[in-house]
Amino acid sequence: MNVNLNKSGISLLNALSNHSELIMQAYFAGTVNEADYSPKVIQNLIDLKVLWRPESEVELRLRPALRTLLEESLQDEHNRQIDANIANLLATLKTQAEHYKEALSNQKYHESQAYLSDLTEHVYTLTETLATNVRLLWSRISNEFGYVSSVDAKIRENELAQGQVTDLLNQLTMFRFDELSQLAGNHRELRHLLVVKLQSTFATSTQELSLVQGKLIELLGRFREFKGRTRLLKGFVLHMEQQPDFKPGNYASLTNVPSLFNRANGIVNRAAPDVNYVEHEFELADIVNNLKNINRVWSNDRQKQTLAPIKVETDHSIELADDKLKLAVEAYFCQVIDSGKTLKALDYYQSEQLAFDPEVWIYQVIGAYHGLPENDKEYFDIATYGNVDPVYVGNFIIEDVEVGLR
Amino acid sequence: MITEQGRVLELLLSGEFVCQTKDEDAFRYLQSSINRQEIEQHLSLLNRRLASAAEGEVYFAAYQHLADNERKVLNQQFQEVSAHLMPMVEWLLMVQEAMDNDMPLTQGTIIRLNQLQTVIEDTPAYAEQLAKISRYAMFGSKASELDAQLKLIFKRLVELGYLVRPNQDKQIYTATGKIDYLFDVLKFIDETENLSLSARAEDAISQTNLI
Repeated sequence: MNVNLNKSGISLLNALSNHSELIMQAYFAGTVNEADYSPKVIQNLIDLKVLWRPESEVELRLRPALRTLLEESLQDEHNRQIDANIANLLATLKTQAEHYKEALSNQKYHESQAYLSDLTEHVYTLTETLATNVRLLWSRISNEFGYVSSVDAKIRENELAQGQVTDLLNQLTMFRFDELSQLAGNHRELRHLLVVKLQSTFATSTQELSLVQGKLIELLGRFREFKGRTRLLKGFVLHMEQQPDFKPGNYASLTNVPSLFNRANGIVNRAAPDVNYVEHEFELADIVNNLKNINRVWSNDRQKQTLAPIKVETDHSIELADDKLKLAVEAYFCQVIDSGKTLKALDYYQSEQLAFDPEVWIYQVIGAYHGLPENDKEYFDIATYGNVDPVYVGNFIIEDVEVGLR
Repeated sequence: MITEQGRVLELLLSGEFVCQTKDEDAFRYLQSSINRQEIEQHLSLLNRRLASAAEGEVYFAAYQHLADNERKVLNQQFQEVSAHLMPMVEWLLMVQEAMDNDMPLTQGTIIRLNQLQTVIEDTPAYAEQLAKISRYAMFGSKASELDAQLKLIFKRLVELGYLVRPNQDKQIYTATGKIDYLFDVLKFIDETENLSLSARAEDAISQTNLI
């Protein structure tokens, strides 16, 4: 382990964490506002190769390597760069494999281990790069290029992504597994790295990429469709402005109605309840039990009636025709006064041959007696004849009454 | 209990457009060709058949044979559709522009009424456009407040089946397949009447670019 490298690495990471706010601001804004920070800090970051000045008199920017690191770690959708220098990586792999084999054949085991670890690192880098690229493409597809607003921009973004997919696929054809397997020979470790590992990566990547390609083409079709629709809408508005009296021909009256306009009308209506259907008895009873609003509806109706305008008219005087029954009772009382004797109600009833129901007659006599003013009542007395109810105690059934003068 | 088949039949016979947004289960049921055949058999009893539009995104019931009565219905429907065209086109354009993502409405597009209202209130041109749209016979609003106009338009669109409101407590609407059907109708008119609407729009756009 190189002590110096270790030390400067740690100091770099510390600087990053100490000035994380500055770095994130530079990441989002693109440039650093030097006036906001002390020159010392800025100089320190420039020395550490975190910030750089692309040209003199231009504002400071983040180093591309750091920006890529942030984009990848944050899975930022603005990251549109697909880095696929597979040919280069493959060439490195081949060279290192040769180094390893040479070291082994010269029995320099230490050296060979170092080469192998380098080789492993490179293989993993290659697989990781491919996986990241595919993931990037997918993330752009899944939000339908949400980072640009207009459909035209989306179409351009889509075309860019398609170009990148094609590039990636072209680069993947550079994997020649026959060469790689020859190179690996009978070294177990090499075989595992160069053939097994790379082959599985290759297979998944090509598979994913062809899916991505299909999806991109589908999306492009959709965007075009969107554009077509927008144009259709705008064109129609323009057309209506130029010819306000435009009416489409009545396609429904053609002999062959276009299928688009052949739409059947709705014929299903609500079914009615069948009160004789036994299985529904419970539900129907439940509904009936819940019929609370019926009173409210009725009272609403009544309120509505009173809301009708009130007609003001002169009142007609009302004359109440005296009831026959009442007159007969009056005559009965007069008879008692005239004769000065007590008289049973039913006797008078029979003697006068009255047509009322005898019970009503007796009831009316009792009523008339109790209805007399207090002064008049003092002149009369009433006696009741009847029996105690045979079943219910305390009930007295009147069968006749007798009225007389006191 | 009604079977899924019965439910789908009922939907179709009530004159509904069955799409994924309107009724996902029914739509999925209709996507299987065996189910479709069974439904067709039932429909043919009532002189109806299963039809689809918008590249299979919507299903509806169509007449099998057209006699006078059916033609009367179709005529009436066509009058309705063509009366809805202009207000709908203007509304679609306004929503698309106000929502600021340049995407035409299609089945499943979500419209947040509050968000739309804010944009329209802040932009006098949209507010004017909205007032114009709300006065079409299709909506028939007499209100002068923007809020009432917008609410009425959305209510009416839900009634007519162009939108659904999945949650009654929220002012969030989803476009249904009937909107895609409307686009099909527009396309059809464009082609049949040789209006070349797209070219016209393209010309207008390129002219504004020249200015």
